[in-house]
Amino acid sequence: MKIRTPSTATGDRLILLAVVLLAAIWIAPIVWVVGLSFKPNEVLMRTTGGLVSPPFTLKNYTDILNSSAVFGWMLNSAIVAIGQMTLTLILASLTGYGFARTNFPGKRPLFLLTLVALAVPEQAIIVPLHTMFATLDLHNTYIALITPRLAFPFGVLLMTQYFRAISPEIEEAALLDNASRLRIFIFIVLPLSVPAQATLGIYTFLHAWNDYFWPLVSATRPEMYTLTVGLASMQTNFAQTEGLGFLMAQAVFAGLPVLVLYLFFQRHIVAAVAGAPTR
Amino acid sequence: MGGLSLRGLSKSYGSLDIMRDLSLEIADGEFAVFLGPSGCGKSTLLRMVAGLEAPTSGEIHLGNRRIDAIAPGERGVAMVFQNYALYPHMTVKQNMAFGLRNVGTPRDEIASKIAIAAKMLEIAHLLDRKPGQLSGGQRQRVAIGRAIVKQPEVFLFDEPLSNLDAALRSRTRIELARLHQRVQSTMIFVTHDQVEAMTMATRIVVMNHGRIEQVGAPMEIYRKPSTRFVASFIGSPSMNFLPVVQAGESDGRALVRLADGTVVATEILSASVPRSGEMTLGVRAEHVTPGSGTAARVDVVERLGERTLVYAIVDDGSTIVYDEPGDVAPAIGEHVRLSLDPANVMLFDAAGLAYHAEPRA
Repeated sequence: MKIRTPSTATGDRLILLAVVLLAAIWIAPIVWVVGLSFKPNEVLMRTTGGLVSPPFTLKNYTDILNSSAVFGWMLNSAIVAIGQMTLTLILASLTGYGFARTNFPGKRPLFLLTLVALAVPEQAIIVPLHTMFATLDLHNTYIALITPRLAFPFGVLLMTQYFRAISPEIEEAALLDNASRLRIFIFIVLPLSVPAQATLGIYTFLHAWNDYFWPLVSATRPEMYTLTVGLASMQTNFAQTEGLGFLMAQAVFAGLPVLVLYLFFQRHIVAAVAGAPTR
Repeated sequence: MGGLSLRGLSKSYGSLDIMRDLSLEIADGEFAVFLGPSGCGKSTLLRMVAGLEAPTSGEIHLGNRRIDAIAPGERGVAMVFQNYALYPHMTVKQNMAFGLRNVGTPRDEIASKIAIAAKMLEIAHLLDRKPGQLSGGQRQRVAIGRAIVKQPEVFLFDEPLSNLDAALRSRTRIELARLHQRVQSTMIFVTHDQVEAMTMATRIVVMNHGRIEQVGAPMEIYRKPSTRFVASFIGSPSMNFLPVVQAGESDGRALVRLADGTVVATEILSASVPRSGEMTLGVRAEHVTPGSGTAARVDVVERLGERTLVYAIVDDGSTIVYDEPGDVAPAIGEHVRLSLDPANVMLFDAAGLAYHAEPRA
């Protein structure tokens, strides 16, 4: 039994205070962004202070909704994010199961290669990737936006470790129950790995939704922009001396789907960040 | 239905031999228990029968079929695992139905088989629960139920009682024995617990270092262990072992001398015993009687209720344990004299081979 002493209670309070402080520091810019998004652009040209004082406006949001391209970009982002998430889950699960449960020549070097791939930064391969897709004439297509991210070593590693943790006896019981390897994978292993799938799925979706670099390189035609690239293209000038409220509204707008996703999958997202799959 | 025949089975992992040239016949309807210490190869043997491990060489036959090369699910065997291995995401009913669904059993037939098994195992009220909502004992029943519905020719049990508490374990032992009487299928049960083996088996297969040490009915193995290993592994308390030297013969029966000089006249034919080499005398606690004989000092007294075990130290420092009635026991440190029943002592040579008493004509 844990005994609470006055000193541990004080310690807990200090930790709580520190956490609240850190959270306040972290949330301050977000509050500022949301606040600015409701301010008229003309006011913001003079000052960006006075968040709580009128005038307020919804014009920045109506401007976004009036821009016909935004919903197209949002659809692009959704297609890319859902496509990337689905295909990554399929590939990472199959690969992870292969690494975790089957034996084949070259398994170990292949797994090491996957681990090594974790250390390759995105920037290092962006030029060859661009050249490759240019050669194949695939830029400005969903294929180009989705496929480069499918080779996702972290996903493979996550699924491999998760499958390894599932008791082999359960699969052996299924073998004795006359189930084929594929049936075992679909009816036993996949349902048991739902927490890891959720973790990986959410991570992949958020990553794809927020991705800016590769879509910026690959999607050069406005109708193929994802939301991040599209919103950035609406910035009028680099210093953003005008239309600051509009820009802030765009940032809030782009973040809304992620916020909704977070509300539904909070438990799994926390687990994903903490690195501990929930069971 | 049919018996199980293991012929010349060997299993190696790389250069490590786990089992070499093991052969065994298990009759149809038999309750065979593979008994041995951890790492003796008993679970490996069971897994080879199940098809979860491939033998390096040898054959496994079930009835008239050779089964060692066919898939586990097609062998006609069902297995209950040590940790039950229930599918955690499925309800009890789905767990029991999974194997039947895989072979295309009609839905109503599945339902009726599950209902019969659930009634037999008294788990009908648990059918819609998931394994996580069940106690250890209930999970165990479900695992047995999952095996029963498949109506296998052979049931395989891999230490299924080891995760249960003592009371539940003894109750489940009785239930398994009852189940065997009811379904009349061949059952193979793996355990390291000699009590489980003695209470349930129609035949015990004692294994050690990947070899079969002895096969026999429980009391046969208890009374006439073929090796010192078997003698020490079967029985609680373990058999007493005392170093002896041969002291000639009397009426064709071997005489041996204990360390304190006491001569024990055994009923073992002296002609059957090797003339030279180290010998060890083995005697069970119930065949040691206080009164006259070799001197010993009482060291520990264990009261078990219906009887009391007395551990006494003899002259050469060996410990000898003997039985007293439940409410009678000497004091610790007391000097006693112990006599050994000549008809029930046995001798073991240096290689551990046993020599038993022969009744007189």
